[in-house]
Amino acid sequence: MSQTKIKAGGFDVDVITGTTALAEAPASTDEFLISDGGVLKRLDASHIGGDNNPSFMVVKTSSQSVTNNSATKVTWDSELKDSDSAFASDKFTVPSGKGGDYYIFATLEADAKNNSDLKISYLKLYKNGSLLQQNVKDYRANQPRRQAQTLVGIHTLSASDYLELYSQIDSDDGDIEVNAYQASDGYGTIFGGFKLIT
Amino acid sequence: MSTLSYKIIAYLGRTPDFTSEVSLQNDGSGDYIKEWNITSEKAKPTDSQLNALASQATALENTAKIDAKRKTEYLSWQEQMEMIYKDQKNGTTTYKDHCDKVRSDNPKE
Repeated sequence: MSQTKIKAGGFDVDVITGTTALAEAPASTDEFLISDGGVLKRLDASHIGGDNNPSFMVVKTSSQSVTNNSATKVTWDSELKDSDSAFASDKFTVPSGKGGDYYIFATLEADAKNNSDLKISYLKLYKNGSLLQQNVKDYRANQPRRQAQTLVGIHTLSASDYLELYSQIDSDDGDIEVNAYQASDGYGTIFGGFKLIT
Repeated sequence: MSTLSYKIIAYLGRTPDFTSEVSLQNDGSGDYIKEWNITSEKAKPTDSQLNALASQATALENTAKIDAKRKTEYLSWQEQMEMIYKDQKNGTTTYKDHCDKVRSDNPKE
């Protein structure tokens, strides 16, 4: 059978409709044809799209006492998601070859345990031991008992960079803690993130 | 045992801004001074200097706890206003008695 080149003017649609349909997502080694700067090349499907990993989300299921006015590292009790086993020892460490932009989020519930007792609460994201981002709630003009605050951001991270969450709370009597709940009550203090597809 | 923040308050003789002036941190092995940005006012204290202030710091901490407890037991300003109004209307001393009880129940050192 003679072959006809596909030219710029087009080709018959049965070039596509006449072939077998792939009725599922392509395998990573399935290939496309593309023009790379005018040179025809084949491209593995693995280079298109992505899976937003590494991804992680950890929660607290037991409350943690913290010292008044001291930025205290938050400890975590349960991993709901840890795609690359990159979360350990209360920190997320970017695995080798997984540097890039990450969407990071955290919610923390600060509890002063008495009405009108909570003065200021800081939720701090640390990168490699230094402050990277924080959320501050200053209630000194009208003090509550407890509150939840959330932090979100997109950060460019390199392999071996690590993230930790710290809580700094100021209350009238210094008897304070980071609250935690069981799954059946709805998690209250969480920390998570995932790599963006870029 | 007094907490580090109260030892620092005792050392300085005032409450510093614990974000910009003095930063305390706990990485899981106890509180420590991470940043001391008021050297022009007073040098960063040594551990022994802070430990020498332990009893003074404990007194400050206990006072803060008593103040916090009193604040709660005084009740809301709306409830206090109600007591004051009724006292003025009826010639009673409910509000004063209430405050006296809160203070006697939570005496300061």
